[in-house]
Amino acid sequence: MTWSLYALLGVPLAAVLLTLVDGWRLARAATLVAGVISLGLAIRIAIAVEHGRVLIAAGGWLRVDSLGAVFLLATGLLYATAGVFSIGYLAVDQRQSDFPAFAKRYFAYLNLFGWSMLLVPLAADFGTLWVAVELTTIISALLVAIDRTDAALEASWKYILIASSGLGIALLSIIVLYATGTHVLGAEYVPRFERFLVHARGLSRDAVALAFVLSVVGFGTKVGFVPVHTWLPDAHSEAPAPVSALLSGSLLTAALYAILRFFQVTVATGQRSFAEHVLIVFGVLSLVVASLFVIRQGNYKRLLAYSSIEHMGIIALGVGFGAPLAVAGALLHVLTHASAKGLAFFGSGSLLRGYDTKEVDGITDAGRTMPWTGPMFLAAALALSGLPLSGVFRSEFEIVAGGFAKPQYVGVTLLLVFVNLAFFGIIWHAARMVLGRAPALDPDVPRPRESSRWMIAAMLVCLFVSVALGVHLPGDLTTLLHNAGARLAAPA
Amino acid sequence: VPIVPEWAIQVLQVVTILALAPLVTGIIARAEAIVQQRRGPRVLQPYYDIIKLLRKETVLPGPAGPVFRAAPYVSFAGYATIPLLIPALTTFPLPLGYIADFFGVGLIFALTSFSISLAAVDSGSPYAQLGSSRLRSFGAFNEPTVIFVTFVLALTTHTDLPYAFGATLRSGAAAVLRPSHLLMIAAFFMLLLSETGRIPVENHGSTLEFGQIEEGRIVEHSGPGLAFLRWGSSVKQLLFYTIFMNVLVVPWGLASSGRLDVVALAIGLLFAKALVVGAAVVVIESSFAKLRLYKIPEFTVASFMFAVLAVVIFLFEPSFGDRNLSVFGAIATIAAVVVLLLEFGMLRSQDVWEQLRLYALGSAVVAALAFGTAATGHGNGELYVLGAVTIALKAMLFPLGIMFVLRRLEAGARVPSVIGVPSAILIAIVLCAFSFIALRPVHIGAEASLPLSALPVAVGGVLVAFLLMILRPYAPSQLLGFLVLENAVSVASLVIAPGLPIILALLLLFDVLIGVLVFVVLVQYLAVERIAVRTDVLNRLTG
Repeated sequence: MTWSLYALLGVPLAAVLLTLVDGWRLARAATLVAGVISLGLAIRIAIAVEHGRVLIAAGGWLRVDSLGAVFLLATGLLYATAGVFSIGYLAVDQRQSDFPAFAKRYFAYLNLFGWSMLLVPLAADFGTLWVAVELTTIISALLVAIDRTDAALEASWKYILIASSGLGIALLSIIVLYATGTHVLGAEYVPRFERFLVHARGLSRDAVALAFVLSVVGFGTKVGFVPVHTWLPDAHSEAPAPVSALLSGSLLTAALYAILRFFQVTVATGQRSFAEHVLIVFGVLSLVVASLFVIRQGNYKRLLAYSSIEHMGIIALGVGFGAPLAVAGALLHVLTHASAKGLAFFGSGSLLRGYDTKEVDGITDAGRTMPWTGPMFLAAALALSGLPLSGVFRSEFEIVAGGFAKPQYVGVTLLLVFVNLAFFGIIWHAARMVLGRAPALDPDVPRPRESSRWMIAAMLVCLFVSVALGVHLPGDLTTLLHNAGARLAAPA
Repeated sequence: VPIVPEWAIQVLQVVTILALAPLVTGIIARAEAIVQQRRGPRVLQPYYDIIKLLRKETVLPGPAGPVFRAAPYVSFAGYATIPLLIPALTTFPLPLGYIADFFGVGLIFALTSFSISLAAVDSGSPYAQLGSSRLRSFGAFNEPTVIFVTFVLALTTHTDLPYAFGATLRSGAAAVLRPSHLLMIAAFFMLLLSETGRIPVENHGSTLEFGQIEEGRIVEHSGPGLAFLRWGSSVKQLLFYTIFMNVLVVPWGLASSGRLDVVALAIGLLFAKALVVGAAVVVIESSFAKLRLYKIPEFTVASFMFAVLAVVIFLFEPSFGDRNLSVFGAIATIAAVVVLLLEFGMLRSQDVWEQLRLYALGSAVVAALAFGTAATGHGNGELYVLGAVTIALKAMLFPLGIMFVLRRLEAGARVPSVIGVPSAILIAIVLCAFSFIALRPVHIGAEASLPLSALPVAVGGVLVAFLLMILRPYAPSQLLGFLVLENAVSVASLVIAPGLPIILALLLLFDVLIGVLVFVVLVQYLAVERIAVRTDVLNRLTG
């Protein structure tokens, strides 16, 4: 099975090479194929590790277990669908003179970005993990700036500056962890995850706690935890829609994955309640602030970005509650959020192509003018708000139920109140956009219309996954989540 | 070997200082001239000047009274008294060594300065009065600096006698290599520059009245009076050098007994130490410009702030104490403090080229730390590779590359701070103190083998780097802030995790390399799109 790890890293890189050799059509096809193969490989790996098996490759430098597989699935899904969506999204610009060069650059970056995010859950040690996360920052900053508009450059500059600084702190946390490990592991060693878990008793509790807090602040900058989230709405709103989907559904959770590795070590040193409280504090803060911003947002891409912050807060809360059900729910939320947010950002990209505005007020009656995009965007809003039938409902329900079981009444109450607040915000804006009746139309002005079947196809895939996760979880996925959750949750 | 009696050493101490002082001044002037590719005056010129002036008649300004006439002799008497009180030649206190403590020394310095200022007022000359009022106002922060420096010494030694300071420090090199002590040395060195009228505070040889401070005060003096003032000023300089070296930096190499050869050796070593300080002064005088007058308080305030930081750090330091000092610990602590001080320099600087130079220097220090770590047997030989790569990338490629790009973009060199420099430095110092306080209760668990007192310094460096990014709304400066942040983390990594596998360390550097490339690409986009490289105009996206 270790070949699949190499393949997973090799396929996107091969796609990058193919984008460089020939025209943009080959680049497009290569991206599409690489995305689908990566998704297939991710599913294959997930099935292989669902019972707790750990795949190790490259002399121990690559490693994936059930926890990493959850994040691989999220990235695989969005990488594949973003490849499909990009074809339609870029097609609009096809007549412009610099399009071939632009498209080649775009697809090359997109594949590199996908590759770097697939590398994150495959890292076997904290050093490689940091390198992979920093790579995702650097490459995605280029993708955010790819339109070279003033706003995109501003967003990109803020993003790379804030995220890289945050990662500087994350690096400090790794160094502190390494220093305390020298006690039991010798002066020179590779800081692999399982070594810390095995020798957790010999680590200094203070130092591990410090490293954990630093990692939550440092990697949390990329997750979008309030108050270190300030880059996030800008980058998400200014990036091309497929990139926004990848940023939100995959990049944020990849950074969260890094925090979970620190969480594991902290728990192993017997400081579970401390670690949980840190996550709960950041989770609640993100949830509260983001849901308030959702309500007063006039730009629908920023709205979705704040919704991402909110959902990262929910995942942090789920892990922080610590009950097995809540943790499994939080990991499921990684997948359900990825599918729902992918759908939403794809929808926003399609709306942007149709209406050419990012303002909520600029869009009315999308349900009739764009008969596929409009309803699906509304469905995405409903799914993100956690209505039944959507996967988000299932995962949030598990988190809440787990929180009550713990019991963590304060956290759960805050969760319920502010999720509802965000619900009102999202539905209010989305309903105005999709259902609002347009005033009498000027027949001379061309009506917005669906611009590409590729975009619709990508949205349909996300919609299908989102609903499927809500209606029935496959047995394999349940096993995987259960096994991954057991690595984080308190023993029952 | 004959034994020199104590009273004779006492006399010798005064004579040595008085006799050597003009020579040191002459050597510095000559060395500076050579560095600046001039021939320069003879080394013995100060003596000839003094002799020449002694032969000349005195011309008194009209309003001058006895205060004016007495001032040169009062001040010179003061300077001649101080060598009795400080450990210039011997480790053991001489008979009169205890008649005044460190504050007493300060008081005598103040008296000499006061008498000269009074004479300046008495002369009625506007230039002299201007000089003395400038000295009073710019020097306002020098006295608190001395007080705080004394606090650190007194807290360490539980006394404020200069002889006792030296004795305590001499007992263990670990005492000198603590972050608080190193910061105090930095503070005192800045004080020394300002008190002896050196660049960046004053241009020593300048004859331009508008910039004069120390020189301006004595502009009306002539003849023997001026001779004694000139001589006194070089004695003052040597006294500061002596205190700096024999009390603070290297309290070794003094005579521990009255044997003639030992005392002679001590005189030679004193001269050598003074020349070392002189060399540092020459380097500084040749590489920096004089500050504009209204910027001088920033310099003295900064020195005061360092002294305050030294006291704060001192209070929290014992929990990091490296009880058994190793060479590695010494290198690590010095490197961490130097990197931090360079960051303070960047915080002060308003010029992007200067910031680039300081960053390159900081990177070189990090590389030196890597070499030192490897040489002392921590980590392994691979750290040499890391050090070499660090020099190639961070000390050369990055600064030169960024400089090249900025030149091509024709970006302006000025990068003014959002808030005033003293406030910025004050905030930075609060951040450093915070890092010490926050890390105090943390036990890493490897106290025995690692120089942990360098860790909070490095963490302080990380925080100051953030400040640097926040206070300079210019893309190149923010990029430099990120790089400085990375340097500070590198110091922390070398200090507490020297065994980190080389492959990971190189990967980290590689990541930084790509990051810099992307940063530079973005800077170019920003410039091309005519947003300019200022980032405070990047305010479209809010809410």
